[in-house]
Amino acid sequence: MYDLELNRVGKTYSDGTVAVADFDLRVGKGEFVAFLGPSGCGKSTTLRMIAGFEEITNGDILIKGKNVSSIPPERRPTSMIFQNYALFPHMSVRQNIGFGLDVKHLSKTEKDSKVDRIMDMFGLTPFADRKADKLSGGQRQRIALARGLVVEPDILLLDEPLGALDANLRRVIQNELKLLQRELGITFVFVTHAQSEALGLSDRIVVMNRGRVEQIGTPHEVYANPKTEFVARFIGSNAIIEGQNLSIADGIGAVDTAFGRMRGRPAETVRAGEGVLVAIPAEAMRISRRGAADALPAENRLNGTIAMRHAVGSVQHFQIDLDGRQRVDVETSTDNRDLMQLAVGDAVTVDCPSENVTLVARG
Amino acid sequence: MESRVLKPVLAVYCAAFILFLYGPMIVLAILSFQGAGGGPQFPIIEWSTYWYQHLLGLTPPGRITQLPIGDALLRSLTLAFMTTVVSTVLGVMTAQGFRTRFKGSGIVFYLVILGMIVPGVLVGLGMALFSNMAGVARAWWGTAFVLHVVYTFPFAFLVMLAILNRFDRSVEEASLSLGVSPAQTFRRVTFPMIFPGVLSAMLFSFTLSYDEFSRTLFTSGRELTLPLTIYGTFSVEIYPNIFAFGVLTTLFSFTLLAIYALLMLRAVRKGQAFKGQEAEA
Ligand SMILES: Nc1ncnc2c1ncn2[C@@H]1O[C@H](COP(=O)(O)OP(=O)(O)O)[C@@H](O)[C@H]1O
Ligand SMILES: [Mg+2]
Repeated sequence: MYDLELNRVGKTYSDGTVAVADFDLRVGKGEFVAFLGPSGCGKSTTLRMIAGFEEITNGDILIKGKNVSSIPPERRPTSMIFQNYALFPHMSVRQNIGFGLDVKHLSKTEKDSKVDRIMDMFGLTPFADRKADKLSGGQRQRIALARGLVVEPDILLLDEPLGALDANLRRVIQNELKLLQRELGITFVFVTHAQSEALGLSDRIVVMNRGRVEQIGTPHEVYANPKTEFVARFIGSNAIIEGQNLSIADGIGAVDTAFGRMRGRPAETVRAGEGVLVAIPAEAMRISRRGAADALPAENRLNGTIAMRHAVGSVQHFQIDLDGRQRVDVETSTDNRDLMQLAVGDAVTVDCPSENVTLVARG
Repeated sequence: MESRVLKPVLAVYCAAFILFLYGPMIVLAILSFQGAGGGPQFPIIEWSTYWYQHLLGLTPPGRITQLPIGDALLRSLTLAFMTTVVSTVLGVMTAQGFRTRFKGSGIVFYLVILGMIVPGVLVGLGMALFSNMAGVARAWWGTAFVLHVVYTFPFAFLVMLAILNRFDRSVEEASLSLGVSPAQTFRRVTFPMIFPGVLSAMLFSFTLSYDEFSRTLFTSGRELTLPLTIYGTFSVEIYPNIFAFGVLTTLFSFTLLAIYALLMLRAVRKGQAFKGQEAEA
């Protein structure tokens, strides 16, 4: 039995906006699933339908095998974490956290010990009697998490919970969140528009676009094997090159492009004879001085000149101008001394093994 | 350059505003300390608290009868209290209803607001005719009370609407998602957060009802409210005892305001420091 099942779930708002359509998903117990997509693609709407705040206009949602589609939010075994924390401003930290337990039939000692335990876990004990508003963003989000988890939900729903935090704090809480989820074994559904969060945190990613699911897979799958053009463009940083006349042999596809014949693994959605897009991950490309690489066996060779270069930490970014027709990004390690000597304007060749290249359908 | 012109103009404007706001009250207050033989005008023949004593029936009976305000005052206070309770409850509920857009909400909004816009005398007259036709006796606790609610409820509604407009829905959703019922969520989350607004709505309702005149005139029946009674005494002859009464009611209003301010301060503080609340709970 799945912890969460969405069967062709759809949402059309009363003004006619189709926010979500045909959303199918099965989530196992203890899984960490991320909804990833650009702003407005329907992530929050889907999450809010799971929580019960938004009426489902199509399909069904099942939690632990039970259809909850028409059950109000307070009777669903879910707990929601909001980007703006949504703490109760008129209550202390302790009252905030204990709030959900007040309506459960627990003895006072039982309740207190639960609250104490979770406050301790989140390092909130020193602030127990303080007002939540006076604490920092990170502390407030910890309070919200503690408050949501203390009621022991089957599923924790998080709507961009780290969005209001600065980059450093986001990383800290991100790590805490991951550890916590492993420890508790509670199913997490996490909404974000930041791919680094989704890739770093989740067991599976649901990539969404315009209210539809584009691809569901592990972070590695959606990163290395994009199924659609949208995923190829949205996740990672892929060079995208148009190709025609796809032919497939032994699981490897070949297409004609403006830069010659290119090879890669065809996504399930593409058919032989069709036009496709060649997606090459920026960090899978090898870069070398023009001429120097000619002797080496290389696939998917592209010639160009360096248009721009900059380093971020240990990653060297190049932008290569392919004879004025297109620019592609290449990422290498700054360890490579030869590459570090390349300058803007130098003629170079990039290439990429076909097993790292994906051929996806256009549109 | 501009401020050299603007500043004095603003200063004069301010002074005039304060003069017209407090001037009448101050004149009234001074005249209320007129001596026993003096009239409702200057000069003050002698400073005394005679008219205050007269008001409370502490002076030996004389030519001038005591102001017949005891019962009227009680009536007006009761009426204002009833109106406050009903209007505030209705105002909160209606504003709460308006948080989710519903069909015809625009029309309902204007219907509610109409109660504070239409001229009081007309509504009063209409109500009097209506109660005659329906065979309902007019009374301050009946026909007049209904009109007071119709009149003050829109004010309470608007205050609450403004408060709820700025209310962050996700706080309530957080409560629901923790398994707390909508009713409990309202009681324990929404209401404490909108309480300052509720206080304001109550203050509006009370003060508007307490000195309501035109709507009450035709609908209160034989037993009069305070404003009507006072107006009635004008038609006989004015003595400084009216002024003494004016000073006392003004003080009463200030007391109300002070209570309001204190409660407000407490509500705001409650939202700030929790040690106190923790101890109470
Ligand atoms: N209450 C609403 N009424 C009408 N349209 C809405 C409402 N809420 C969201 N939408 C629309 O639904 C789409 C999806 O919104 P949302 O789920 O919030 O996206 P995301 O969380 O991915 O940014 C958007 O086009 C948005 O404008
Ligand atoms: Mg959103």
